[in-house]
Amino acid sequence: MKRLSLRGRLLWMIIAVLVAVLLPLGLYSYHRTLKETRELLDGRLAQSARTLDVLIRHAGLDALRLPTQGALVVPILSREEEEQLLHTRTYETEVGYQVFDMHNRMRLTTANLAQLPLPPAPVSGFENRFFEGYGWRIFTLVDDVNDVVIRVGERDDSRRDITHALQLDLGLPQLFGLPLLALLVGWAVKRGLRPLERLQQALTSRSPGSRQPIHLDNSPRELQPVVDALNTQLERLEDALERERRFSADVAHELRTPLASTMIHLDGAMAAALPVDAQAALTSAQSGLARLARRIEQLLALARLEAGAAAGQRGVVDLITVAMNVIDELAPLLGESGVEFAFAEHDDSLKIDGYEAALAALLRNLIENAMHHVPMGGQVQLSMRRSQGAVVIEVIDNGPGIPPERRAAVFARFHREGSSGDGYGLGLSIVQRAAQLHDAAIELLDAPSGRGLRVRVAIPGTPLA
Amino acid sequence: MHIILVEDDLPLGEAIRQALERLSYAVTWLRDGREALTAMRDQTADLVLLDLGLPNKDGLDVLAEARRSQVNTPVIVMTARDGLEARVRGLDAGADDYLVKPFHLEELSARIRSLTRRAQGLAANRIDVGVISLDIGTCEAEYRGKRVELTRREFSLLRILMERAGRIVRREQLENSLYGLDNAVGSSALEVQIHALRRKLSFDAIRTIRGVGYMIPRDPT
Repeated sequence: MKRLSLRGRLLWMIIAVLVAVLLPLGLYSYHRTLKETRELLDGRLAQSARTLDVLIRHAGLDALRLPTQGALVVPILSREEEEQLLHTRTYETEVGYQVFDMHNRMRLTTANLAQLPLPPAPVSGFENRFFEGYGWRIFTLVDDVNDVVIRVGERDDSRRDITHALQLDLGLPQLFGLPLLALLVGWAVKRGLRPLERLQQALTSRSPGSRQPIHLDNSPRELQPVVDALNTQLERLEDALERERRFSADVAHELRTPLASTMIHLDGAMAAALPVDAQAALTSAQSGLARLARRIEQLLALARLEAGAAAGQRGVVDLITVAMNVIDELAPLLGESGVEFAFAEHDDSLKIDGYEAALAALLRNLIENAMHHVPMGGQVQLSMRRSQGAVVIEVIDNGPGIPPERRAAVFARFHREGSSGDGYGLGLSIVQRAAQLHDAAIELLDAPSGRGLRVRVAIPGTPLA
Repeated sequence: MHIILVEDDLPLGEAIRQALERLSYAVTWLRDGREALTAMRDQTADLVLLDLGLPNKDGLDVLAEARRSQVNTPVIVMTARDGLEARVRGLDAGADDYLVKPFHLEELSARIRSLTRRAQGLAANRIDVGVISLDIGTCEAEYRGKRVELTRREFSLLRILMERAGRIVRREQLENSLYGLDNAVGSSALEVQIHALRRKLSFDAIRTIRGVGYMIPRDPT
């Protein structure tokens, strides 16, 4: 889904509003102007007719030309001829005049209108005529006092020059003005939303999992409540995480300490000379206690892992160092269990971006699981290598393995493979959770030798160094 | 052997005190951080077992202050806090070893032996790990009571492994100790020494953790 952009939205809305207001206004004033212009031109036409009328009234029609002499045809340059002569285009329109007497006889005419006859009963007013290939705007003045009819015509196309020029004068600014306006609006919107952009930068430049309060210089009135609300939430989260951390540290202490004293007491009791059945009972108690201790450790590891994930304690982790630490911790198990452990050919370091506690728990549980499922004299091998776009961790054992149809079930929390009751299922769910935190895929495969299990964890991402 | 035990949990302190006394250690049991620091400054103990969560003064502070006042007594930190962090912080503060609760008595006594072995060994000129013992004066070893002749290199190697019995010693570390940093040696030189040692003792006396290093179990066979 394409995300709505506040900036784009604002921009388009402002442009839409501008267009919605400016376009009707422009059209209206355009039409008004054209109408006024037409009326102005009509007025000019009527004016010239009246001027002619006044001239004739004072001079007398007969003084101009006797009725017997027929119509006087005054030559006049057509528009085109005039243009050729002057090489300029002015708003001087091509006009024509006609004067008729009381008997509707044409007494005077310009050449361009010579062939336009007068209708039998002329009336004063404007009309549009099409004549000799051109449209004409004609004004007829019927002067009953002087007994003359005066007709003045103006060629439409020369009029149109004026209206075209007007159209351009009115339209061009709009044509260029609107895109310019859009650009300026865009700039203004971007500028106006800058505090929002600064907030976004402040948020994205934070390290992942950071719970430092957000600080924004000069944040505007509308944004400050958002920043405040975010900071309040961060503070609450920090408090909750801190409480959880303290709680799980307390739980760890509260569980481990009595367990420790019980274990030492039991060990001490075992050292004493005891009847065989008492020895056997103590041995059972010891192994029960060991199971309890192991479960507690696993639950604590799981809690620690979740706390680390919640707190976003992600960083550069050297897998080799983590593995070596885990191996050191497991030294008694690895060196004294009668199972041969090996860390296959590996680089000096293999750095990835991840959660250290989770990766340590993952390795520890994978190794412990394998070691516990392999009989005396068996082998367990840990390997780590770079593969295409991933770091692959493998633990291979030559124990009894897990049949393919049961492999999916072993990842259920508290599931136990077999009846040993050692709680290794919990270990696997820790492995699974740790893998999940790193988007890693876990596969249970057959060991290459055909006997045993190969657990493969592929952590996507390129090693950092 | 005198051990200072600093533990504020009564049942656990009692359990450890009894256990250590059964192992013939002289134990002074303290429950308070400030008292512990005073006792450590007296430098009468051979070893300190230090719990981290203490009243009045945190175990880590006690340790750091003791180290600042030149107390070099070996210290094993005992903690109920989470392993990795406690380990890093404990070792940073100057602990020689650490134990995460709960731990077995055997584990505790092994760590104590391991830390006192060096001191004791220097005094008695011998190191004992189960059926193997090493005479530092004569560079001779005994395996199941039988004398074993060692070369100088074999002796150095066995001594490092025995001083850290129960822990894995990285092969780079062994190579550095045996051949130094600048002496370029073949990658198999160490294997040759290990092989020779195994022939003289027993195959299982030295465990190989392939890709990591070697170790002598706390109870070698």
